[in-house]
Amino acid sequence: MEESVKRLTEETSAKIVACGSVAELNDIRVKVLGKNGELTALLKGMKDLPPEKRPEAGKIVNVARETLENAIATRQSALEKAELEKRLQAEKIDISIDKPVEHIGGLHPLTIMRNRIVEFFSSLGFVVAESPEIETDYYNFEALNIPADHPAREMQDTFFITDSILLRSQTSAGQIRLMEKVKPPIKMISPGRVFRADEADATHSPVFHQVEGLVVDKGITMCDLKGILDLFAQHFFSQDTKTRFRPSYFPFTEPSVEVDASCHHCGGKGCNVCKGTGWIEIMGAGMVNRNVLIGCGIDPDEYTGFAFGGGLDRITNIAYGISNARIPFENDIRFLKQFR
Amino acid sequence: MKLPIGWLNDYVSTEELTPEELADKLLSVGFEVEEIIRLGADIDRVVAGKILDIKKHIDADKLQVCMVDVGSEITTIVTGAQNIAQGNTVPVALDGARLPGGKEIHAAPLRGVMSYGMLCSGKELGVDGSVIEGAEADGILILPETTPGTDIKEILRLNETILDISVTANRPDCQSVYGMAREVAAVLGKKCKPLPIKYKTVSSGLKPHVEIRDEACSKYTCQVVENVKIQPSPQWMRDRLRYVGVRAINNVVDITNYVLFEVGQPLHAFDTKFVKDLGIIVRKAELDEKITALDEKEYTLTERMTVIADSEKPLAIAGVMGGEHSGIGADTKTVLLEAARFAKGSVRATSRALGLRSDSSARYEKGVDVMSVDLGRERALALFSQLKAGTVTDAFAQGDAPAVSPKIIRTTVQKISDLLGIDVKQSVIVKILKSLAFEVETDGATLVVTVPLFREDVDNYTDLAEEVIRFYGYDNIHSTFMPTAKTTAGGIDTRQRNLQSVRAAAMHFGAYEITTYSFIGKKALDKLCLAPNDELRRQIEILNPLGEEYSVMRTQLAVNMLHVVSLNCSRKNKKFRLFEVGKTYIPHALPLTELPEERDTLCMAFVGSEENFYEIKAAADEIFRRFGVTPSRMTYGQKPYYHPGISCDYYVGDACICSLGKLHPVAAKNFDITDDVYLCEMDMHTFIENEPPITKFVPLPKYQAVERDLAVVVPEETPVGDILRTVQNANALCSQVRLFDIYRGEQIEKGHKSVAISFLLSAPDKTLNDAEITAIVDDILHALQTQCNATLR
Repeated sequence: MEESVKRLTEETSAKIVACGSVAELNDIRVKVLGKNGELTALLKGMKDLPPEKRPEAGKIVNVARETLENAIATRQSALEKAELEKRLQAEKIDISIDKPVEHIGGLHPLTIMRNRIVEFFSSLGFVVAESPEIETDYYNFEALNIPADHPAREMQDTFFITDSILLRSQTSAGQIRLMEKVKPPIKMISPGRVFRADEADATHSPVFHQVEGLVVDKGITMCDLKGILDLFAQHFFSQDTKTRFRPSYFPFTEPSVEVDASCHHCGGKGCNVCKGTGWIEIMGAGMVNRNVLIGCGIDPDEYTGFAFGGGLDRITNIAYGISNARIPFENDIRFLKQFR
Repeated sequence: MKLPIGWLNDYVSTEELTPEELADKLLSVGFEVEEIIRLGADIDRVVAGKILDIKKHIDADKLQVCMVDVGSEITTIVTGAQNIAQGNTVPVALDGARLPGGKEIHAAPLRGVMSYGMLCSGKELGVDGSVIEGAEADGILILPETTPGTDIKEILRLNETILDISVTANRPDCQSVYGMAREVAAVLGKKCKPLPIKYKTVSSGLKPHVEIRDEACSKYTCQVVENVKIQPSPQWMRDRLRYVGVRAINNVVDITNYVLFEVGQPLHAFDTKFVKDLGIIVRKAELDEKITALDEKEYTLTERMTVIADSEKPLAIAGVMGGEHSGIGADTKTVLLEAARFAKGSVRATSRALGLRSDSSARYEKGVDVMSVDLGRERALALFSQLKAGTVTDAFAQGDAPAVSPKIIRTTVQKISDLLGIDVKQSVIVKILKSLAFEVETDGATLVVTVPLFREDVDNYTDLAEEVIRFYGYDNIHSTFMPTAKTTAGGIDTRQRNLQSVRAAAMHFGAYEITTYSFIGKKALDKLCLAPNDELRRQIEILNPLGEEYSVMRTQLAVNMLHVVSLNCSRKNKKFRLFEVGKTYIPHALPLTELPEERDTLCMAFVGSEENFYEIKAAADEIFRRFGVTPSRMTYGQKPYYHPGISCDYYVGDACICSLGKLHPVAAKNFDITDDVYLCEMDMHTFIENEPPITKFVPLPKYQAVERDLAVVVPEETPVGDILRTVQNANALCSQVRLFDIYRGEQIEKGHKSVAISFLLSAPDKTLNDAEITAIVDDILHALQTQCNATLR
């Protein structure tokens, strides 16, 4: 008996190691350990032994069963692992194929830039105020210190609806509407659409967008203006962008400056983007003209402020390298998809 | 304005600077040089040559072979010109020369004879009779006797450099050579030389008189010049006029133009024989008063225009142009020279209304200061004297006008420093202001500043601060971050946030945002097949549009959207979704008496054969859901540019707030679109300013839901939407009602359809048992039967 168990164990162990699939292993288990299996048969044969030998024999059989079950379990897990690996190998695909993405959707680059600007200034405590696109002469000119015979009216070719109603030529109109309602401290930006009677070409559009900024509070200085615009230029172009002020003239600011940013393309060395100057004009700015403050009921001896305004389209086109001002208004889907 | 550097140097020497360096200096104080024009820059290696000998070419009848002394050598040049003779001095383009237009000259054989250059005509050198006599002759330009080898640019006086400067509107005083000289002197720390205004007068028996009857004229002076000899002005004056783009006429006219550009003061010279009794009256024109101007055209005036007249007739349109009978002719013997100041707005309005512009009106429109009237007149009289163009007399008159006293600004160093944000020393401020002709007295920290009369733009201390920082240098402004400002809460408002949410929703549906103009063509609405009285045709018209195509403010976004769709289709872009969030402009009354309503509007277009009505409807419904908008009614689309059977209009109350569906084939054809287009237009103004509803959390079901299907047969015209809603509303435990099939066919009665739907049943507090489920399904069937005339299939 002991002999038979030993032989069966050895033979079966060899078969277990040799078997090549979980199914085959299962066959072995049934054949040896099953209800009618060979080891079970040996156990059943114990009844023919003398009673005093039965415990010993039982022990032998149980040890053998345990040994075989362990061997089967080990083998089974190895086989399962191999089979899983084989299956995964068989499932391998070509990962080099790109599926075109459809129906993703995206914002117009002007909106993307506008949102970025709004987010930037919002985080600095600026409210975002909008005002009408069809404006009165008063808000577009008069209240901005541009009386009827002022040469600055010639600076902008304005679209008129009636003698006193026009398509606003600058978002600065929004400054006045805000200052009439809100008293300092004021920090606001006013992004919006403006109109000028320029034929569309590579650098002009009769419809474009501006972002106007206004701060009015006690002790506001030109250095504060420089601080905000430096931060802005670094945020929107690059960390090492510098700005410079050049004297200029706007009726609603005094002193007035043009603001140039160092050319992001050549780093200020001079290239075709900046026409060799190393600088790109990004906006106009200045300290709010006293007459404008007085007109809005703000005491210019108590408060000072600065205002700045730049072309959103221009900043967008610079940032994205869009070479022609007409392209964003064409809305070719191949253009739009580049900004998603 | 054009600033010839040689002219500038009369008043402040800039010889040590290159034109580029000078341009940089000007930029730093606010004058942008738009262009540096170098006359003659395109001419190189062209010199004067003396023709020593001319022989016929042996092999060509029409050619001549010249021996020419070009200074450095005697060279052979073959020419076809016939107007030359031995001993002539002519321009010679040497081997390697460059001529205007990029033409290059190289030594080459002509019919076997080597020619080492070319003799040039005036035209080939780009000059005309205003530069040198004979330049327009047919053939070679014959020069005055000159040393051979002299550079032609020297002979033709083409060695001037001119700065084209952009002068800001606040600085009319810099619209002249002398005005710029004052700024340049201040930049360079030099003294500006005074204008030469010395002349002797003789006494005259003439007694001119001036009467000002119009406020548009704030100063009028005139003086008589006798013994005038009309002749060409000297070459230097003609050259300078040429540099600034003015044609030389005769000495008298040239003097007035010269002063206009040098001092910035327009002048007018009247022949005294046309001025009755030498009595000048400055008055408003009479309505329909007529005058023939120097351009020989007759102008009809209005009572808003100013004229210079005598007791009988208008002599000139003030500041714009003289009358034909007041001008200077070859026989003019006595001149009444006018120097006056007219209001810029008045001159501009007159010039616009008449469509008549002149150098004078252009100058007046920018603003002429009170000081330059006397300065300009005296400068002109000095030139009369210098050029011996006439005898200046003491016959002078001026109109009564209030005296103008200079503005005085009292301020402090602190105020100027506080505005700039940097400390500028008192001594620096004083030095800068004085260099700009301001008078400054100091009284401790107080500055008492007298503003020169030509600086009408300077009103208060902020203007002084600008002058200071312009010259102190903007480089000194450093960055600070509003240390004195109060903290404020920033950000966007509800409407702006809602518009972002609308954009996000459209984007989630795969649409790309477009941006289009706010104005469209007046006739564009015809493409939408709109009736003549359609509300959308109440469009605001622009008085001065760029063209018909951009003449009215849009009342809808569909036209622009369809143009964009059309453009994309024509470029073979297929299958795309677009949206625009933009304003439509709805007038309260036409013509406008008050500002119109600007409505936030959404337009979407889904394009391509794979799109269908339900796709775009889902997008619209999602936006309504976000804003808690529940349309009260939906009908088949009423707008003529939608497919009548594949479109709908949503109403809230009586107002249609959204139209969507398939584009009508006729409209599609009008826009040259062949692809399928589904359009959605949403007027958001009723809800875009409302705070969107706050989401209320619904607890997730704890108990298993049961899915059930039903197929019911209904009459063909029953809307499936009604069936779904009926099921949804039939029992509170019923949710997620979905359509999964519509079947029409043999087993179904004609005129009917079978509608298959699925739904979930679940209770918040228990798992439903069979009996309960059956009861609910019975409820649903009952509701379908009674409300939708449906029978279980």
